[in-house]
Amino acid sequence: MASTMSRAGGRLPAARPGSSGKRAALTFVSRYGTIIGLLLMVFFFSLNAPEKFFTTANFLNILSQASLTAIIAAGLTYTLVVGEFDLSIGNVASFVGLVVCGMMAKEHLPIGVSIALALLLGIGIGSLNGVLVTKVRINAVIATIGVGTMLSGIGFAYSSFPIASGVPRDFIMIAVARTFGVPNPVFIMVAVLAVLWIILNKTDIGQKMQAVGSNIEAARLSGIRVDRIKMFAFATAGFCSALTGTLLASLLGSGTLAAADGYLLDAFAAVFLGSATVREGEFHIVGTLVGVLILAVGFNGLSIFGAPTYFQPIFKGGILVLAVGMSALARRYAASA
Amino acid sequence: MLSKLSEHGQSAGGPVDGQAPDAWMQVRGLTKHFAGEMALADVGIDVERGRVHGLVGANGAGKSTLIRCLAGVTVADSGRIVVGGEELRQGSPSASEKAGLAFIHQELNLVAHFNVLQNMLLNAPKVTRFGLIDWKRSGVAAEAAAERIGIRFSLQTRVSELSVAERWLVMIGKALIRDAAMIAMDEPTASLSAAESEQLFRIVRDLTAHGVAILYVSHRLDEVLELSDKITVLRDGRLAGQAMRGTLDKKGLIRAIIGHDLGVGQAPRRAVVEKSGTPIFSARGVAWRNAVKDVSFDVYKGEVLALGGLVGAGRTEVAELAYGVKTLDGGHFELNGKPLAVADPAEAVKQGIALVPEERRSQALMLEKSVAYNVNVASLKALRAIRSLPFLSAGKGRSQAEKLVRELKIKTPSTSTRIGGLSGGNQQKAVIARWLNENTKLLILDEPSRGVDIGAREEIHNSIRALARQGVGIIVISSDVEELAVLADRVVVLREGRVTGELVGDEITEPRIIELSYLDQSELQEEAQWQAQ
Repeated sequence: MASTMSRAGGRLPAARPGSSGKRAALTFVSRYGTIIGLLLMVFFFSLNAPEKFFTTANFLNILSQASLTAIIAAGLTYTLVVGEFDLSIGNVASFVGLVVCGMMAKEHLPIGVSIALALLLGIGIGSLNGVLVTKVRINAVIATIGVGTMLSGIGFAYSSFPIASGVPRDFIMIAVARTFGVPNPVFIMVAVLAVLWIILNKTDIGQKMQAVGSNIEAARLSGIRVDRIKMFAFATAGFCSALTGTLLASLLGSGTLAAADGYLLDAFAAVFLGSATVREGEFHIVGTLVGVLILAVGFNGLSIFGAPTYFQPIFKGGILVLAVGMSALARRYAASA
Repeated sequence: MLSKLSEHGQSAGGPVDGQAPDAWMQVRGLTKHFAGEMALADVGIDVERGRVHGLVGANGAGKSTLIRCLAGVTVADSGRIVVGGEELRQGSPSASEKAGLAFIHQELNLVAHFNVLQNMLLNAPKVTRFGLIDWKRSGVAAEAAAERIGIRFSLQTRVSELSVAERWLVMIGKALIRDAAMIAMDEPTASLSAAESEQLFRIVRDLTAHGVAILYVSHRLDEVLELSDKITVLRDGRLAGQAMRGTLDKKGLIRAIIGHDLGVGQAPRRAVVEKSGTPIFSARGVAWRNAVKDVSFDVYKGEVLALGGLVGAGRTEVAELAYGVKTLDGGHFELNGKPLAVADPAEAVKQGIALVPEERRSQALMLEKSVAYNVNVASLKALRAIRSLPFLSAGKGRSQAEKLVRELKIKTPSTSTRIGGLSGGNQQKAVIARWLNENTKLLILDEPSRGVDIGAREEIHNSIRALARQGVGIIVISSDVEELAVLADRVVVLREGRVTGELVGDEITEPRIIELSYLDQSELQEEAQWQAQ
């Protein structure tokens, strides 16, 4: 391949309509396949259930549901960008949701202080993951499963019953209330994703994260402090998990064991779907958002059409396999191009 | 197996000339396009058993594509390959293997955690007992092959513990076990020391004496000229010339490769650079484990200092110590006369030390990222919109990348092109470009022209000299003695972790460097005295 490219910039490639047409089509599908899929789903549901699906209220509902997944998935995206994994995000979110309610209901701390401590706790757990992976050099899959599992146990010890009574109404209103008719989590999601997008694409540290994920040895030899960059990614994932956990507790009005565990799979499906979007095989924030929306629209459509409950996990698992498959194909395609 | 090979050898020893109609392997009219670009255009070659067939050409000339077609990895658009009178089914690696074709690429296809025997017998028929592999009896052929090519390490050794040279031997053994009638070697000496190369050449001669054909692909023209019975030159996918042994010299070969003459072979600019003032960089009694013992040298302003010696002499280790990849056991470095302590590469970069590492693809490039990304990645701070805030200016990034691409003559459609698609030479220029900023005080280049074609190599050398003139301290490490002789102002030769001597100006010749790589100066004097008696 290199042999054909070395003269790039010299002359224009001779026209070979058959292969270049196919190539262009493949490129288009591999880049925009997920977005097309999303649009097709919206189109299909709108056509078949216009009065239920195609309404402002339903779209806001979809966005609201997608917000929490998008925040936690964006954090996960960071760990994947630097070539690592975080399987503890769901457990972290559940644990923090429980603890934040506990701080308000049991310790009677002010709402603001409780939330700040909850987010710090998330950053701390994320940093712990980072230390285990970069300093102790435990494989990220094992380290984060280990930490996540411990958290579920600690959560159980902290409170085996949902913490609902004593959770202030003002806390609940954070996620439940609307501003200009739009649920608050949507604004929070947009703000978090915007900041994460800017960091990843427009700052030193974002460029370094991409370098670490692309070729860790080359990054190290370019003078990048690889461990610090990974720590940052894990800490960010912890922060995002804690934020999702807090928002979920607010929505539910309680801190409940394992309440957010399910976000792990949703987030992974979304992030991998996203990595097959626009940039072949690269993890990025906009892609993750597209992935989250595909899941949210899918779930919403399924429930509107009254699909049996068992269909949800089938859809979720199927999308995950499809997403990882598409991402792998896109990456292989990008590598061979 | 050995006797079988020699029988073939006797039967195949026909006359060697141009396009013999009865050649053992005949390639005819091979044509291949990639994405509309011509990679091979109507290429025809003949390969005879018992002969070394040299294949040369700049990067992108079509050598790899030709090899890939033979190996069955790529299917040509048109053209035929006939081996031993039978048409080879293209696009099937197993058909190629059955036809007796074996391939040894630069990235050696070995399973690192398997031992030598397991690797040699991988995918080969093995003797079984009760359905289980009988390694002892299966290993008989492997032992024979190992003995023949001079493998001195145990076949039980894990491949991950072997040096690159030893891995080459394993690959050759692997080919022999499969009764290979032709072995294609891609840049075999790129990572080998002079002594190891000599061993390889002996093996090549032994193999051809037993009737094996060798397709020898290399940028090292002296080797190709010395070894080959016939040389084929490719340029831009076309046959640019074929020559029999003795009919072509190096200059003629270079002319055929690039289409015009170069300044190679001229006496290099041997203005002896005066050692003046404080050295930019010094090593003082540097030691690390068994590999580096008490190494001292100085790098002065305006000169290109080269570390010569064999692979394993400790040169790369010295570079890695200076760059903070490894931690010193003894001694110290000085930068502009001040003691230098670097704990890791990030610290080294901060102090103004830069490294162009040995393995471009695995150690330097973010292959799926753009050219601009790759040249900018080490100087992100300078690309901030406002110095105190971490936000990058897209405009600054673009203009810096464009400036570097111009300065180093990186041939690329644009700065946003994926760097993985560029040729080795242009990739290497990009790695050097990464360090062209005012912060860099010392640039260490480890094998800067490995896998780089002749044109790009000349340009890289010019860039290195220009940097030296601008006052950047330069250390070049190269196993290519020819390159050292052309590029260096001063050569410090290492052998087994010690400095054996220093050559300046006109003393820098290939024979002198090679001598010092094997013997140190005192031993050389003894040798001279002994000969005088």
